[in-house]
Amino acid sequence: MRPSPSLSLLLAASAALTGHNVARADETSSGQYAGYRFNVYSEDALSAPSLGDPRRYEVYSQQFLLNTPVGDRNTLSVNATHEVMSGSSPWYVIPGPDNKPIQVLSGATIRDHRSAATVAFTHARGGNDTTTVSTTYSQERDYHSAALGAERSLPLNSALTLGFGGSFSHDRIEPFEANLYDRIQRAKKNTTSAFASLSLVLDRVSVVESGIQFNYQTGYLSDPYKQVSVGDTLDPDTRPGGRGEAAWLVRYRRAFGENAALHLDSRLSANSWGQHSLTLEASWYQSLRGGWQLIPGVRYYSQSRARFYAPFFAAGSGPDFSSDYRLGAFGAAAANLNLRKRVGHWEFSAGAERYHAGTGYAIGGADSADPAVVSYTRVFAGLDYHFD
Amino acid sequence: MRSNAKLRRSSRRIEHALRWVLALAALACLGGCATQTVQPWQRGRLARWDMRWDPDPLQAAMNQHAYFSKEGTSGEIGAAGGGCGCN
Repeated sequence: MRPSPSLSLLLAASAALTGHNVARADETSSGQYAGYRFNVYSEDALSAPSLGDPRRYEVYSQQFLLNTPVGDRNTLSVNATHEVMSGSSPWYVIPGPDNKPIQVLSGATIRDHRSAATVAFTHARGGNDTTTVSTTYSQERDYHSAALGAERSLPLNSALTLGFGGSFSHDRIEPFEANLYDRIQRAKKNTTSAFASLSLVLDRVSVVESGIQFNYQTGYLSDPYKQVSVGDTLDPDTRPGGRGEAAWLVRYRRAFGENAALHLDSRLSANSWGQHSLTLEASWYQSLRGGWQLIPGVRYYSQSRARFYAPFFAAGSGPDFSSDYRLGAFGAAAANLNLRKRVGHWEFSAGAERYHAGTGYAIGGADSADPAVVSYTRVFAGLDYHFD
Repeated sequence: MRSNAKLRRSSRRIEHALRWVLALAALACLGGCATQTVQPWQRGRLARWDMRWDPDPLQAAMNQHAYFSKEGTSGEIGAAGGGCGCN
């Protein structure tokens, strides 16, 4: 059964908030279709002084999605991803002349593959009352992750829909060359999440959604491939064994006439490592003649540093310390453009994103250097087939 | 003495949190008052593909994976899992 257009929207509006790797209920509400995407991700050379292999990270990704009804009330969604990654990785930071940080990159080029699959099953009880269960498995040579999730969408009245759910993931890491570099042999990490959202139809052309999420991670949360300069020695990256995070997200959609729509998204988060972040996104969907669609978008992100982050540490520091650039204070501005063209059952898409990061973008500035923040360019293309 | 000071600090934190909750509730009420009743036959524009939360789920997943692997606190609201692919 193909949902009516209004039902599709209601399903989308109510399902709303799901994870970045778990099939969304609004995917499952759009009828039978198959999609393929090819992405190329390429990092810029570091702007800060660095030592080691200068070839930065490149990722070639392929994604495949099949979305199909099962009976009158159920939808099955299968999503597969394969990535090939190569390039040098930030390793540790040493103090240079005048204590300016010098980033040391891994000497040997890392080459790895990641394969992931998600299967999601959605049952619709009628209207936009749906329940989705999903499972994901992801595998790299040194990293395995398995996750289970469930979510419910419950209409409260004709305008208001409640969504809620939870998930659990278990990750296992077995680092390369553990003996050679004195890395941990193997370790585990668990993540538990709970989330809830309310979506509200404001009027005939606009809808808003607000949601909260809580995550709690336990286990080995350090990066076994990173080290830290502590005085005159190099020590393993060492982080606390638990991390709690709360996030608040608001999304707004507004139609302008018959051919355009505005998307505004915001996200605020805080975690128990002392980091706060703000994300703002805006996109404009413009339909053009002949089945073409142009979608420009911008994104801004800012985060504060974790309380145990510094480029390098004085002797006697600890017990937790990390020089991982992802834990420092920085911000990023990004712009993207996507072009789509529908021809019969087929739909072609292509686009690009430019992402530029730096400590200067951080709200309130950064009180310590972060020499390995990443700027990158992505290009992507895809093809969808709609069966109905 | 020390426990009284702790208690006062805790009370202040709870009051502060309650103020935020009340402010958000007031905002939500204002939002509710601002809505119009929209009948099912008036939802044509709301039902369009470009009005979905994520019109292209494959692209949205890849975007989130790129941000998640390079930023310390990013990620959409939703279920966790899916591996790293980080460096």
